[in-house]
Amino acid sequence: MGIVIQAAAYGIVVGAVYGLIALGLSLLTGVMKFLNIAHGSLVILGGYISFWLFKLWGIDTYLSIPLVIIAMFLVGLVLYKLALSPLLKLPNIGMRIDTSMLITFGLVYILDNAMTILWTPNARSVVTSYTGESLGFLGAKFSVTGLLGLGVAILTAVALYFLLSRTYFGKHVRAISQDAEAASLCGINVHRTYLISCGIAIALAGVAGVIIISCYSITPNSGLSWLLISFVVMVLAGEGNIKAILPAGFIMGLLESVSALAVGAPYREVVALIMFILVLMFRPQGLFTKRG
Amino acid sequence: MLEISHIDIYYGELQALWDISLTIGEGEIVTLVGSNGAGKSTIMKAISGLLKPKSGSINYDGICLDRLPAHRIVELGISMVPEGRRLFTQMSVLENLEVGASRKTTKEVKHNTIGWIYQLFPILMERAGQRAGTLSGGEQQMLTIGRALMSQPKLLLLDEISLGLSPLMVQEISRVIRDINKSMGLTIFLVEQDVYMALSMAERGYVMENGRIQYQGDAKALLASEQIKKAYLGIGPTEKRAK
Repeated sequence: MGIVIQAAAYGIVVGAVYGLIALGLSLLTGVMKFLNIAHGSLVILGGYISFWLFKLWGIDTYLSIPLVIIAMFLVGLVLYKLALSPLLKLPNIGMRIDTSMLITFGLVYILDNAMTILWTPNARSVVTSYTGESLGFLGAKFSVTGLLGLGVAILTAVALYFLLSRTYFGKHVRAISQDAEAASLCGINVHRTYLISCGIAIALAGVAGVIIISCYSITPNSGLSWLLISFVVMVLAGEGNIKAILPAGFIMGLLESVSALAVGAPYREVVALIMFILVLMFRPQGLFTKRG
Repeated sequence: MLEISHIDIYYGELQALWDISLTIGEGEIVTLVGSNGAGKSTIMKAISGLLKPKSGSINYDGICLDRLPAHRIVELGISMVPEGRRLFTQMSVLENLEVGASRKTTKEVKHNTIGWIYQLFPILMERAGQRAGTLSGGEQQMLTIGRALMSQPKLLLLDEISLGLSPLMVQEISRVIRDINKSMGLTIFLVEQDVYMALSMAERGYVMENGRIQYQGDAKALLASEQIKKAYLGIGPTEKRAK
């Protein structure tokens, strides 16, 4: 029993990271109809920024989050201006999804190789005074970094939820994701809302990167494996269902860690993809969406 | 107030409008009628900035609208009720109205505007918390008009508001629109397939066929003219009927 709880303790932190990555992804796909294959690489970039802030200026990983958010928000703005906004001229949404996939696939190679040049292919992690410390609970050990990461992920997801449900900006985002043309007829500046949403989505990726470098380690090309499972989480939550994304991340993380116990760690991704296929077959609207 | 002069519009390679000119004066109700596919909605899209004319120009109070994006045109005081309602169905009635007031100056007075719209359409107040997708067709149409009024426009464009509504609902909505026009001097440009309803509401009318304007003039005169009767109202020449 203890070993299952221990696995769950691990899984819930991993799940929180999946949830954060999927939040950014679904903001991009839901609002702008961009499928961002480079999202994983941007997660890793966020991790490296935090790594540098720690190495060069001794800024603690979790305290570096506001700086990482600002830096990654700017990266998001540049990404939108250079790579994604030209796609809005395409005549239909299907072409926008396809082309954004191709472009961001290319971006994966650019980013991964640039990160290899800057930070070498070696695995990097941050060791702070509290790394390795843990708290005992229900006979399992919860690492302090994991608990902090979990807290940050929940806070971030709640903040995003309030931003989208309570603010004028959030209403604009939701209006645009339902009908961009009608939104522009209501006087909403669609391009500016896209720009800011893209910044927010990439900033979320940065936060996920910080949690990863504090709890685990990163290499320049580890983005795609995080991304793959986050895509499954996004589908699990259902389209446009922001509230369900973090819980879906937890489910995925728990499923992964428990299945690692049952069938062995190398099959983690297999389990995730079987889950993906099952959801698409039986509940294509997502686990948490009521209407079909 | 609004002057369209000699515009041509293309969808890709396909020309949809040929040499369209029309004017709308302040405080007027002007209508544009014609059969399905004549290009009425295309003109609406050109005024509201969703489509750009290839040649010709659209002027509004001396400002050229040709190169402006749709949201800037709303800021200038032109608001459109799009064909097919296009509500944000997953959002509440109140949220739909709020999204209509996106401009800073209208945002500040949005509570007053919402109060006014609830007076015009009391049913919307009852349904305020409900998701827009759950409203009936008529209520949805009222909400779209309410949403368009939230930006406090000077010119209101109405695209096919009678579509799919019961005659009673059409009457009710056109009464409200006439009221707003009379009491506030709001200029109305009405695009309709329901030729009788549109021409009896409006002061002046334009009749479109195959991307061109065929007839124009006083709405009452158009309604009485033989060509219009024959082509759109399903009434033959009066002498024939008398026989």
